[in-house]
Amino acid sequence: MSSDPILNLAAIPEEILTRVEARGISRRDFIKFCTMTTAALALPVTMVGKVAAAVADARVPVIWVEYQSCSGDSEAFLRANQPTAAELILDLISLEYAEVVMAAAGHQAEAAKKQAMEKYQGKYILVVEGSVPSGADGAYCTIGGESALEGCRKLVKNAAATICVGTCASFGGIPAAAPNPTGALSVMEVVPGAPIVNLPGCPVNAENLTATIVHVLTFGKLPATDGLGRPKFAYGKRIHDNCERRSHFDAGQYAQSFGDPGHRQGHCLYQLGCKGPETFHNCPTIRYNEGTSWPIMSGHGCIGCSEPGFWDTMSPFYRRLPKVPGFGIEDTADKIGIGLAAATAVAFGLHGVASCFRKHDAMEEDKVVKED
Amino acid sequence: MAQRIAVDPITRIEGHLRIEARLDGGKIAEAWSSSTAFRGIETILKGRDPRDAHHFTQRFCGVCTTVHSMASIRAVEDALKIQIPDNARLIRNLIMGIQNVQDHVIHFYHLHALDWVDIVSALKADPAKTAQIAQSISDWPNSSPEYFQQVRDRIAAFAGTGRLGPFQNAYWGHPAYKLPPEVNLIGVAHYLEALEWQKDVIRIHAILGSKNPHPQTFLVGGMAIPVDPDSQNALNADKIALIRKLLRKARAFVEQVYIPDLLAVAPAYLDWAGIGGGTGNYLSYGDFPMDNSPGTGSLFFPRGIIMGKDLANVQPMDEKKISEYVTHSWYSYSKGDNAGLHPYDGETSHKYTGPRPPYEFLDTDGKYSWVKSPRYLDQPMEVGPLARVLVAYGKGVPEVKAAVDFVLGKLGAPASALFSTLGRTAARGVDCLVLAQKNEQWLDQLANNMGRGIYETFNKEKWDPSTWPREAQGFGYHEAPRGALGHWIRIEHGQIANYQAVVPSTWNAGPRDPKGQPGPYEAALVGTPIADPQKPLEILRTIHSFDPCLACAVHVLDGTGTEIVKVRAL
Amino acid sequence: MLEIRYTWEWPVRITHWVNVLCMILLAITGVYIGNPFMTASETSQYIMGWMRFLHFSFAYLFLVSVASRILWMFIGNHHASWRAFFPWLTEDGRRNFIKMFRYYTFTGKQISYEVGHNPVAATAYLGIFCLFLFQIVSGFTLYGQMAPGGFWNSLTGWLLTLIGSQWLRLAHHGVMWLLAGFFINHVYSGWLMDVKERNGTMSGIFSGYRFIEPKDL
Repeated sequence: MSSDPILNLAAIPEEILTRVEARGISRRDFIKFCTMTTAALALPVTMVGKVAAAVADARVPVIWVEYQSCSGDSEAFLRANQPTAAELILDLISLEYAEVVMAAAGHQAEAAKKQAMEKYQGKYILVVEGSVPSGADGAYCTIGGESALEGCRKLVKNAAATICVGTCASFGGIPAAAPNPTGALSVMEVVPGAPIVNLPGCPVNAENLTATIVHVLTFGKLPATDGLGRPKFAYGKRIHDNCERRSHFDAGQYAQSFGDPGHRQGHCLYQLGCKGPETFHNCPTIRYNEGTSWPIMSGHGCIGCSEPGFWDTMSPFYRRLPKVPGFGIEDTADKIGIGLAAATAVAFGLHGVASCFRKHDAMEEDKVVKED
Repeated sequence: MAQRIAVDPITRIEGHLRIEARLDGGKIAEAWSSSTAFRGIETILKGRDPRDAHHFTQRFCGVCTTVHSMASIRAVEDALKIQIPDNARLIRNLIMGIQNVQDHVIHFYHLHALDWVDIVSALKADPAKTAQIAQSISDWPNSSPEYFQQVRDRIAAFAGTGRLGPFQNAYWGHPAYKLPPEVNLIGVAHYLEALEWQKDVIRIHAILGSKNPHPQTFLVGGMAIPVDPDSQNALNADKIALIRKLLRKARAFVEQVYIPDLLAVAPAYLDWAGIGGGTGNYLSYGDFPMDNSPGTGSLFFPRGIIMGKDLANVQPMDEKKISEYVTHSWYSYSKGDNAGLHPYDGETSHKYTGPRPPYEFLDTDGKYSWVKSPRYLDQPMEVGPLARVLVAYGKGVPEVKAAVDFVLGKLGAPASALFSTLGRTAARGVDCLVLAQKNEQWLDQLANNMGRGIYETFNKEKWDPSTWPREAQGFGYHEAPRGALGHWIRIEHGQIANYQAVVPSTWNAGPRDPKGQPGPYEAALVGTPIADPQKPLEILRTIHSFDPCLACAVHVLDGTGTEIVKVRAL
Repeated sequence: MLEIRYTWEWPVRITHWVNVLCMILLAITGVYIGNPFMTASETSQYIMGWMRFLHFSFAYLFLVSVASRILWMFIGNHHASWRAFFPWLTEDGRRNFIKMFRYYTFTGKQISYEVGHNPVAATAYLGIFCLFLFQIVSGFTLYGQMAPGGFWNSLTGWLLTLIGSQWLRLAHHGVMWLLAGFFINHVYSGWLMDVKERNGTMSGIFSGYRFIEPKDL
């Protein structure tokens, strides 16, 4: 055993390390990756060996398709750090199809997808980015002349598991925002009942994607999810409950305007419309871009991007509550409520004045005795 | 023999793009560009809070993330006449600057390089010879024979598994690949290095704006990142130092890797300086304000247009002269589909009339794309780094002039070589180099402001909608990595009444207009030689040189449209 | 001959006043939680913490109070009974409802004489109980988000999936204002009836006794 404490804890069989090393991966990097992933999955350190065995052998086939997407999740994948995208592509998975990075194009690309689907039927992991439009017979998104709707159904049905990256694939996302002009659907809606795990976020946090892939490799099954199909290890808590500014919230210290002294001192962004209290995501703990930052840390409230329908329910983004349906942008729930209360008071006040002048409507007139 | 071929989808771009083309005598005679995905975000924006618009528009694109936020907040600020603080201008310049630098490098290595660099050939390279070449073109430290040996072994081990993943089914071994194995190996090594580099330098976006892609820091009226040297929750000296380190890392890579590689690869492909020219009209909105004065006079990259490749005559640009056509796009206009509408009056009512999927070919006589056709004074215009650099060159911006002359000098090519596929790729390098060198200046100014106690990053004067006029309209411009980006907004009663975005790829990828004038992609493809219709690598070269940003597919058709040769994987 | 009748039994009176206390405290703390109008000057303060603590504590008290009152609907006298809240199920009730409605709208002169609630009031209280239940369910659903898989979350989590937390929050907020409107109406009507019926409407909710002339019934 090595004297390096990390190596001792991680207890990865020598034989696996040798094999990995032969593929040009540094042994220390590999151990670091396995340990961090084990931690990300909230597993005990004794599981490191199992994680290592799973990732060392697998190079599981992965097909990454994009439908109504902005490629933001693909880009997020390129920013992955533990492991990096290069390590993932070259060492850990076998990326059979991914429009943003693949060398092939056109029919050759489509053929690669088809080959992978057939060769690894029931074995590949499908990653879907973007929502699937159902309007106009699927013509709102076609690839190689085939509609996304048709392509998605086929790929999901033949996959071992499907990982929806980003809010569009998970819940419909921006194309499904009101009035949903293209009839955009989430993958869950396109293929109900299929083994799907949702990794919403706009874009997905690459660390959560890696952790999910490794979870599947290690245990041969999808991670436990909440009622919306989101893995509990990443979406099990509200941002608010893990937020670094929570103490300011409880104390009652709020930034009232961007750039004011409270804002500069890192006070709570609640009054600026932060949606941390209604959003389940692990942003505060893992952050983005190698743990550099995350929205609240850099002074902008959370917009709730991992919640279903967030474009409609979390907007206006700089207000606490959604727009009251049927009222203008300026009419907040409180303005309407105060108006309602005031109107009630005025109406009953007038009613009272009128009632005071009303004659002969009081009861028991006959029993009234006037005192001197 | 006339032939019809099809490539679908075009990969290594953002989005879904389809190109159909007719081949004659080994060359493209006609081409059609079609976007095959539609999301309707402009429709979704109607009735929403204009201050929220940038969150929505940013999701137009995750590759050129930030750019649609920038154009959107500028459109609202233009409509409401909001002056942003100087710090906000500098932070925006920094975000835009590093975005352009990072995006251009990703484009060159990860999206475009595989059109010129043959990975399979790199396996035959001699590491010692490779190291010799690498050391002769640059003093980048990663250039030892051992280093290249290691890269070659890693690729060989990967290829040895027989599972090539994203590198399978490509056009490896195509006769149009002209580089010696050693230069290919340098390309592969730097492909991997750039993959590491890009995720590191873009952390500047995370520092200034929480994350990348899709930073969350833009505001109508400024930026959300607070500036305060006395706070640990704001931009302070510590974070400035980290940004500086990353900016220097970015600059070093551009100066010592990207530009030398560009200059090493280009000589093998000088014939591409005569291919892929296209419309010859160029438009740049200009960007990177150097001070907070109103108007566009202070833009580092100036605003202007060039017609008919006339570099000596850069004309002023007036956004009022822009109109969009839908004659060949899957939309309808209330005034008839041959009308041209200015974006303020733009309509996005979609009407799909194309073939029902699955289909083989589009009807290119009718409507065939989800992209509209923008025109300037009814002329198709090319936008992008080339347009930006040409306008700046024509106007004599010293930094740009020096960089262009340096590159042209190294290649021994005249300025007219810029009007080509190779020119487009070289101009992107120039753009990247100039900005990589410029970025630190903006950081210095920001630090200087902080030193003088200027912390303001946000102008809250017009934040509350009750301060807004009943009706307002504004134009937001930006020079995105892929070119001139414009957003037009009309605000009524505090809500978005109309929103139109004319994005760089709309200018470039748009279909034909009512006069039948092809869009820039379509024009640029004409005359491109196709060595092997089964493997139309040449199409990818020209299309990728524009750095497309949409989801499409490419088809090539024969003269009569009868004989169909489908392009298949071998 | 006037009779003194024991109308409102002690559980009715206690839950009534506990509800009043809870509603006032929940509204004030709730408005603060929705829009913190006081700002702390030091991180050592705990304003929002206290507001939330009070809000949740009184929410539990309110839950117990409303639940007790509902239980009493099946135990107490006929004025407290659940039947009293559905006056339009009987012919008398319907007739008196119209009579009372006409009095309120100045189209009739006569108040319908009742020992307990008049039918219009009873109908309003039925609505108010529904709003109470809505506030309790939506409130505890939102509260349950802090502990996914916990008691409240397992009980009410489906509402978050079905409706979404933001719409629930908006509705929770909106219903508070409806209850505020009701509060104004209720105090006014109590005053009006006290003045016009002259049978101890106001004192009845403190003492439980009302003064009734049986022949006027």
